[in-house]
Amino acid sequence: MIASRNIGPVAAAATLLAAAPLSSIFETWTWLVQSAIAVAVVAGVAALTRLIRAPLWGQVLGMLAALGLALTWLFPSGGELLTFLPTPGTFGHFADLFTGSMQDMRSYGVEVPDTDPLLFITVLGVGGVAVLVDVLAVGLRRPALAGLPMLAIYSVPVAVYVDSVPPVPFVVGAAGYLWLLVTDNVDRVRRFGRRFTGDGRDVDVWEASPLAAAGRRLAVVGVAIAVALPLAVPGMTGGLLDTLGGGTGNGNGNGRAGAGGSSGRIDLFASLAGQLNQSEVADLVKVTTSEPSPFYLRYAVADELRPNGFQARNPSGRPVNQNLPDPTERAGPGVQQARYRATVEVTKSLSMSLMPVYAEPVRTEDLNGNWLYDPTQQVVFSNRDNSRGRKYSFDYIRSTYTPAALRAAPPLPAEHPLNRQQTATPGPVPEVEELVKGLVQGKRTDYDRVLAIYRHFSADNGFSYRLSTESGSSGEDIVNFLTNKVGYCQQYAAAMAWLVRSAGIPARVAFGFTNGNKQDGNTYTLTNLNLHAWTEVYFDGVGWVPFDATPSYGVPGSTRSAWAPDIDAPESITPDPGASGAAADPGASGGPTGPDNADRDTDSGLSLAGQTPAEQPPVWPWWTAGLLALLALLAVPALRRLALRRRRGGRAAGAAMTATPNEAAPVDGTRVVVVGPDANRARADAHAAWAELLDTLVDFRVRVDRTETPRTTADRLVRETLNEDTAAVGAVRLLGRAEERARYARDPLTGEPLAPALRAVRGALAARAGRRTRLFAALLPPSVLLRWRTTLADTSGRMVALTGRARYRLLRWNPRRLLADRAAR
Amino acid sequence: MTQQTWDEVGGLLPHDEFRAASEAIVANIEQVIEGKTATVRLALAVLLAEGHLLIEDVPGVGKTKLAKALARSIDCTVRRIQFTPDLLPSDVTGVSVYNQETHDFEFRPGAVFANLVVGDEINRASPKTQSALLECMEERQVTVDGVTYQLQTPFMVIATQNPIEMEGTYPLPEAQRDRFTARIAMGYPDAGAELAMLDGHGATDPLHELRPVSDADIVRQLIATVRKVHVADAVKQYAVDLVTATREAPDLRLGASPRATLQLLRTARAVAALEGRDYVLPDDLQALAVPVLAHRIIPTADAQLARRTTDAIVSELVHRLPLPHDRQRSPYDTRPATGNGRAPYEPRRP
Repeated sequence: MIASRNIGPVAAAATLLAAAPLSSIFETWTWLVQSAIAVAVVAGVAALTRLIRAPLWGQVLGMLAALGLALTWLFPSGGELLTFLPTPGTFGHFADLFTGSMQDMRSYGVEVPDTDPLLFITVLGVGGVAVLVDVLAVGLRRPALAGLPMLAIYSVPVAVYVDSVPPVPFVVGAAGYLWLLVTDNVDRVRRFGRRFTGDGRDVDVWEASPLAAAGRRLAVVGVAIAVALPLAVPGMTGGLLDTLGGGTGNGNGNGRAGAGGSSGRIDLFASLAGQLNQSEVADLVKVTTSEPSPFYLRYAVADELRPNGFQARNPSGRPVNQNLPDPTERAGPGVQQARYRATVEVTKSLSMSLMPVYAEPVRTEDLNGNWLYDPTQQVVFSNRDNSRGRKYSFDYIRSTYTPAALRAAPPLPAEHPLNRQQTATPGPVPEVEELVKGLVQGKRTDYDRVLAIYRHFSADNGFSYRLSTESGSSGEDIVNFLTNKVGYCQQYAAAMAWLVRSAGIPARVAFGFTNGNKQDGNTYTLTNLNLHAWTEVYFDGVGWVPFDATPSYGVPGSTRSAWAPDIDAPESITPDPGASGAAADPGASGGPTGPDNADRDTDSGLSLAGQTPAEQPPVWPWWTAGLLALLALLAVPALRRLALRRRRGGRAAGAAMTATPNEAAPVDGTRVVVVGPDANRARADAHAAWAELLDTLVDFRVRVDRTETPRTTADRLVRETLNEDTAAVGAVRLLGRAEERARYARDPLTGEPLAPALRAVRGALAARAGRRTRLFAALLPPSVLLRWRTTLADTSGRMVALTGRARYRLLRWNPRRLLADRAAR
Repeated sequence: MTQQTWDEVGGLLPHDEFRAASEAIVANIEQVIEGKTATVRLALAVLLAEGHLLIEDVPGVGKTKLAKALARSIDCTVRRIQFTPDLLPSDVTGVSVYNQETHDFEFRPGAVFANLVVGDEINRASPKTQSALLECMEERQVTVDGVTYQLQTPFMVIATQNPIEMEGTYPLPEAQRDRFTARIAMGYPDAGAELAMLDGHGATDPLHELRPVSDADIVRQLIATVRKVHVADAVKQYAVDLVTATREAPDLRLGASPRATLQLLRTARAVAALEGRDYVLPDDLQALAVPVLAHRIIPTADAQLARRTTDAIVSELVHRLPLPHDRQRSPYDTRPATGNGRAPYEPRRP
């Protein structure tokens, strides 16, 4: 049982490696430590049972018992004997942990914290897989089958984490599996006894068997194909083509609407830009609300500022069908709150794991426990469900604020968690710092500072809306936007959030829909062009307050409020504490401007729609360029052949030219043998003509034999190919004679018309060849391809020889060889 | 007859005269041997290449007739040896006889002291007698009793033999075979030639009416002309390749000797000259490979068991060997490069 001693530990290690993908769903590494303990215990017991030569069922029982003991020790209920012997109470505890894990799975989004139930289910799973792998790989000697349980581990993160698992853990897991396979096979081969090189020589201990080289190469190619092929297949999540094809808007907007299906790693900005740039308009959401003039429908928040811009944090929360937090607790003077009811109908075009709602929902209907509510981000999300085609209703509280109320909000205490989290910027950007300093100077309250920043984005300051700009919200993009002053909602929103954060006030970017321009009573139909982003600022005691800095002329269905008035409107409403009466009623402030904007936006929306295709980089030049490049690539062999023929033709023509002086040269009837440059030239000409003839033969698929002399070749051509064409027969004989004399005689043949002869032979061959052959000879000349193939084969042969020698030299310093030598000595 | 050293050959013949002289000899022989132009020309080529000819075939196809016709067409000394089992070496080379008048030993030249020596049925003599020819064929001299006698120029041995499968024959030793430049087979005449032969040979033997059309001087001039035929480097290389290939062929126990290379090239020169060329072609070497090389090589036991004749082995080599002109790998060759014959992976035992 030498083999089992070796494979057992490898199987255990491979199991642990295969568990690597779990790292992407846990926040910390506790699970790994505990799983390692469980796997080690299982492997140790397996080795022990094999040591006493227990039958397979005995090994399985032993391993299961060991797993039970390990679990007892790791997750004690308190009533165990000697801390690891389970009692009935322990199993009750396990059952509790198991049900608890179900609960936790539902309530936590990835990445999950270390809760006992989750750790328990993880260790149980990994330990169980370790038992299975051990049985399959060592007991039954079927290590390939052990891949199935390993795959089961891998499927867990894939299932909860729709946006595919990062590659590194996958590679680690796959490496573990390959290691197991390799170990098993090495063991199998060793059982044969002595290893041979194939040429009758023994393989040394230190040497890898050369016979296995083919196997190794096959394995590498196989793994490469297995990894590369799915990348290229469209329709699989994270497919390479899928990523490349995104945003080109090739007609089928339905599948892509919503851009990605996960709450987790979706790049909200990119999907927003993609949707706004779609040339097709698709209805995404139909919403009916009892609120007369609702604010934006929202579905996501980007509140994590990284060097590359605002990112969405993974939301976490409780099921929406349970009690939701009540925002009325925050009601205070100057804060008006009213409860409305809305029904949202998501079309089949919008598929994402987020659900659009109005801020802030307090009760939902028709949504099951898969949907969770994140009270911080105020978004409804799911880790396993999606919004496609759903219809649901909810009650929500609309809060409106007077500027005075916001002014009265105290500054956020420095130790407030939000203050730390939501004011973070990834390193100071000098331009931004300076700008913010200038803007907030002399402003006393947070609200005044925010308002100053908000006003900075006015048309008076030169900012203008245009959809076709570079998207992005990194520091550099923000500075660009602040300098160029041209952008659209995402830049406005991100820039304002950044500036507000720089001023030390928590801010984030919210994503959702404007009210659009298709209104039917209380029902709004929202399309992909109504997608929008805006800024939300946190005021202590008040909550998150929205500010939309994007010019309303650029956004169909834009809505303004008393605390964030339309700065570009002609009748600029100055924030007047005295106007609190007007501001108290959202209908009063939103009412007049709302329809007004909607009217204007109909035009701008139309013009936008007309503009979008023109603004969008047209696709056809790429296709044309690609097609041209492909054609150029295909034409390379033909061009190469043409160039070759032209060069040789020039030579042959040159020969015909030199014929004249030579013809004139004979003096007194004696033949002048010209030896010297002319002879050399005639030789070269004949060689060129002959080479061209051979290439032509290859092109027209006539056999060429290296062992034939020019004379034999010419004879064979006359006999087999050109049997009737007398001109061609003469021509080919002439070419053969010229080449023969150029090669072997003292003086080459001069003054013969080689170029016409070549043409004659080529014509005769073409007349005889089939249409297919002629086409190939013209487009993809076999002679050129053959030459390239030969070069390639030669080069690769040389490379193999070189690497073989280098490898042999390196092998001299192989530690295993040196050790073997020492042992022999 | 005046002794002439080997290098004292005649002057060069112009192209036309060469052609006329050689054609006259061929035409003369063809009066006797009908329908065998290629064989006759090859025999003449061997003469002009200063070689010796071995005619091997079954009895009755005109071996001896060819030898005698060639001898008679040239007006020079001709001797004939009938090899019989009781023939002695001294009958071939000559013997010293005690002259009672001068009280001294006197050398009486044997049959090899002639320009053309026709050795009929050479493999019927014992190897002892056959060996008498070794020195004279290669070195063109005879040493008897410590005295070396030079032979005349041109000197050519034309031997006939029956295939060794026939009864009552001794196979020629390798050294002897190697001294023959070419071995040719007569082959049966075709139907027309055989009919013509019945007419011509019915009443008289046409051999009797054969008159010489050439003499030793002309032959010497022809030989001198042949020596000047141009051989390009590529052709020399090809000859070497061809001979090397016989040495490396797995089917062969013994390959061709360097003497074979030399004689191959000489014969090729003669053939080229006979065809009116002043340069040798690889085609000449290809055509001569079987007559010049096949009788020198010895196949392995396996090849013999497989009934592979040396002729077949040589012609297969010729068909496999690429021309030296495209020595650097031809682009039309799709076989993998063998490099220098070394395997890329050759670890040695430590």
